[in-house]
Amino acid sequence: MEDTNETMCVGIDLGTSRSAISASNGERHVIDSYVGWPVDMVARKLVKKPVLVGREALENRAMLDLRRPLERGIIKEGSEKDEEAVQELLRHLISLIGIKQKGKNRPKVRAVVGVPAEAFRVSRQRLRGAMEGIADSVMLVSEPFAVAYGLEALLHAMIIDIGAGTADFCVMQGRYPTEDDQRTLTTAGDFIDEQLSKFIKENHSEAQFSIHMVREWKEKWSFVGQPKNRVVVIAPAKGKTAELDITEEMRIACESILPPVCETMIDLLSRVAPEYQEKVRNNIIVAGGSSLISGLSEALEKALQEPGGGRVTVVRDPLFAGSDGGLAIARDASTADWEKLSL
Amino acid sequence: MENVEKTKLRLLREAVQNNIEGVRSPRPKARARRKGVLTLWLWGGLLVATLGYLLAPGHGVSKGSAPATADAKVESVASPAPLDDPILEPEAPLPTPRPLNRAVVPLAIRRIVIDAGHGGHHTGAIADSGLSEKEVTLDIALRLRRLIGNGAFEVIMTRQDDRTVSLAKRVEFANSSRADLFVSIHVNWLEPRNIRALETFYVGPTDDPAVMKLASLENHDSGYSLADYRRILEKVYIDERRDESRELARSIHTELYRELRQVNTKLENRGVKTAPFAVLIGTQMPAILAEVSCLSNHDEVELLSDGNYREKIALAILRGIHRYSNNFNIYVKKGT
Repeated sequence: MEDTNETMCVGIDLGTSRSAISASNGERHVIDSYVGWPVDMVARKLVKKPVLVGREALENRAMLDLRRPLERGIIKEGSEKDEEAVQELLRHLISLIGIKQKGKNRPKVRAVVGVPAEAFRVSRQRLRGAMEGIADSVMLVSEPFAVAYGLEALLHAMIIDIGAGTADFCVMQGRYPTEDDQRTLTTAGDFIDEQLSKFIKENHSEAQFSIHMVREWKEKWSFVGQPKNRVVVIAPAKGKTAELDITEEMRIACESILPPVCETMIDLLSRVAPEYQEKVRNNIIVAGGSSLISGLSEALEKALQEPGGGRVTVVRDPLFAGSDGGLAIARDASTADWEKLSL
Repeated sequence: MENVEKTKLRLLREAVQNNIEGVRSPRPKARARRKGVLTLWLWGGLLVATLGYLLAPGHGVSKGSAPATADAKVESVASPAPLDDPILEPEAPLPTPRPLNRAVVPLAIRRIVIDAGHGGHHTGAIADSGLSEKEVTLDIALRLRRLIGNGAFEVIMTRQDDRTVSLAKRVEFANSSRADLFVSIHVNWLEPRNIRALETFYVGPTDDPAVMKLASLENHDSGYSLADYRRILEKVYIDERRDESRELARSIHTELYRELRQVNTKLENRGVKTAPFAVLIGTQMPAILAEVSCLSNHDEVELLSDGNYREKIALAILRGIHRYSNNFNIYVKKGT
């Protein structure tokens, strides 16, 4: 479909840890999936905003009621504040690409939102509801499908999208993936953070650190297999600054997701028609923030040796692979399709 | 082989169609859902009949047919139900439930089952101080009954003292009492032990390993394997009772978190989740299971040792029930 001045196509990857947007005007942004409201009048005066989103919210967290509203990629239930936070997150993403909320010249926003397969199944209406007033038409697709579409890996391919909250698997067999073609695991980036935090506490009992610090360390130095360098971080301990060697803790924590990921990958492979299994084995694509773990593709290839070997590649741009795929879908859908999906 | 553009076009068409189907069958509005409570009971009965049929010997999901291991979990998701089972035959879908006109049958919450978790030989979690889950849950349940008093609801309890009551008996008791709601009170044990979390469950499958572990612990004496539950739940996923249970879980959870974080500022809100707990699967009415605190956390044990804190928990659950009940619009006092 041709873009016009009256329409703007966007692809959104709504993630537990980070959310990304790619727009047909060429804008691409990624933000931390945090939303925070000043806790009192003093905080509001200091931050000078009624609500903070992304990195800004994280950095000012001491003054904010901070929310990370997407638990395992699904809008948290039981908290109206978290629903509101999702809307703020989406509103902020749209504003980043230069779309104003109101105004005569505001183009019609056609959004494709990629979410974990599980969210797609259980909270489709909540997600559509969250988009009201933000986009004019919305299409929800499973995150790995968006990645596959963007990469044109539509036949005999497996996408493994490992984010913070979930690891989503999808086998592409030239058809729109059904539930049988997809799996969602909750052992993903957040699980690594929890494990890493636990191991550091056990081995460096005097060190003081927060989950946010652990997350940053992981994002900088995560690896599986052999380390390229020692992982040494700085954290306060007994009121002083201490250097902690967390190389082994990092390795064990990152490798903790390998067994379920490998098991699911091989299980899904075994369900592919026998004549195509080799093709799929040689076309496994890893996306998502956790695909940046050093040595991950090699570890997955090692696991593939038993069923006959295979090739695993990591997408070039893991943070935007989902949103770029969403944008491709949004552009290819016809005006008639979008009219059917209007909010 | 067709080219990529053709494949993309086809996939796009399927994606749009999939979304349109989602738009056409939206999640029922809260009020509309509640109108269907009587219908929901009928479906609940059908659900139980289905469960009974499935769990009967020789019907594919009998006890011990699959080990409750991680492998079994994956297998149970993917394996289709036996096609020779007339109830699970996919080509013969059940008719769509139709909302009931409330003018015909007034609906209200009258009778509530309060289920104090564990008891007797089943101590549940035990804190370092010796405080046990069975003691805490019973105390909160008794407080809740007292708070309700002679108010809007009639309360019946699965146990009123320290005795062993199997999960199956609890389910049977709730169903035979024709209760309108089932509220099960439990206390969590979480690692690492610095966690202090609040979470509330309603019936449904889960892929969360922590919830699977919790469910397997809480279902310890049920007699069914987790793989059995999971397979059954795949088939009852669209049960209308689920929506009502979720509403009840959300109401109670919201009140619990609001009340408790005032004194327990580090309390983590883990939200409302689905899990295959035996008491949630078998009961015919909207049912929830609240893990109101953590006996693994030293600070929470201290709080739980204080009667005022347990009173707050009971009060919050009561408020949650009222919140859910008030959304019915019709508020019928006990005995009217």
